[in-house]
Amino acid sequence: MLQAHSFLWHYLWVAPNVLLLVLSFLMWKRRLYRRLPVFFAFALLSACCHLAIYAADISPWVSGENFWRVDWAGLLIEGPLKFSLIGEVFAQIFGTYTSVVRLGRFLIRAVGILLVLTAAVAAAYAPKDSLIGIISGAHLLDQTIFLIESGLLLFIFLFAAYFSLKPSRPVFGIALGLAISACVHLATWAIAANGGLPASKRVVLDFINMATYHVCVLIWFYYLLVPQKVPAQAAVLLPENNLDVWNRELEKLVQR
Amino acid sequence: MTLAIILVVAAAVALAFILGVAVSRSLQISPSSGLSAQIQPIDVEAFRNLVDPAEDDYLRRRLPPAKFRMVQRQRLRALAAYVQAAGRNATVLVRMGQGALTESDVHTTDAARQLVDNALLLRRNATFALLRIYVALAWPNSGLAVATILRDYERLSGSAMLLGRLRNPAAPVRLASTL
Repeated sequence: MLQAHSFLWHYLWVAPNVLLLVLSFLMWKRRLYRRLPVFFAFALLSACCHLAIYAADISPWVSGENFWRVDWAGLLIEGPLKFSLIGEVFAQIFGTYTSVVRLGRFLIRAVGILLVLTAAVAAAYAPKDSLIGIISGAHLLDQTIFLIESGLLLFIFLFAAYFSLKPSRPVFGIALGLAISACVHLATWAIAANGGLPASKRVVLDFINMATYHVCVLIWFYYLLVPQKVPAQAAVLLPENNLDVWNRELEKLVQR
Repeated sequence: MTLAIILVVAAAVALAFILGVAVSRSLQISPSSGLSAQIQPIDVEAFRNLVDPAEDDYLRRRLPPAKFRMVQRQRLRALAAYVQAAGRNATVLVRMGQGALTESDVHTTDAARQLVDNALLLRRNATFALLRIYVALAWPNSGLAVATILRDYERLSGSAMLLGRLRNPAAPVRLASTL
């Protein structure tokens, strides 16, 4: 069952990407692409990239080297898209609140720089896991992308939790799916790039990655397309407050 | 292999935290109910006393340096407790404001957004203020201590000092016990 080119293997590679294409079509129909343009582009392009890599894998006329070139191309398209998507998630959660957006931008940039440096060190110390440079390079690039991606998403979750900010349902779903995918892929690619697993065992990591991605696509479906149940409740009454005064006082206190 | 283990552990910890946030979010009950009860009243007079520069000068003059440092640290700890209470109140206000963001009335959602923004600013300022207080705790005589903080308060003595009255029309809630 857990073998390359088994039925489950084909299903797990193709189904999530077909579902992502369906999701982008439904987003288009519901005009959700206006609100979440980067996620829409990500869903569309990421699905196309993965299906192109799948086609390269099963096509007998595509050589091994060319397959890895296609894989590299997919990574180079998907990597920047993911970081743009993280930017969109950040903007959707914090963008409307001027009080924290500047601090958030400053911190996320600092965290990003730290993560890039960490990823560079991790890549430099990783043993070459394959005799062919193009393969080990792809594994290392995967590890680098997922390390930075999971770090940035963890920061966003931490920052929002610290301020008790609750993202909107679709944004939360996107961030959750992306974070689960990034963390699991980071772990598996770290093992692939550093663990020196034999090729026969590598396929298990592929299954874990593909199954996780499938779950994440379902999470995106759920959070983007299933409306939230609104419990019947009395209108929320806002309390009177003098937060302005308190904030002025604390700002003066901090700026001394 | 060591690097792989480190990265796998880091990924597992990050995933556990993120899933924890997701679960706590799904378990969160309606934000409108019972939140105002979580607001902690702040005793304005006691706070004013703590940030009063005259009090600070008096203690400096009357106490030997070692004793003054000890008292100053106690005052800073009390000040930190007030700022922490204000920060916690801000968190409650963020949740209350976010609960009202889904209202259909435009005025309510605008007011809610403004409330959330101000409460976030308060939370941020409280964090920075706490950092300063903790630094001052390490060096009570450094000039970073309450004295500089208090001068700001003195300058702004005309304005209300604390996060004041927060009133739910149905059940009045007060952050400050004296207004």
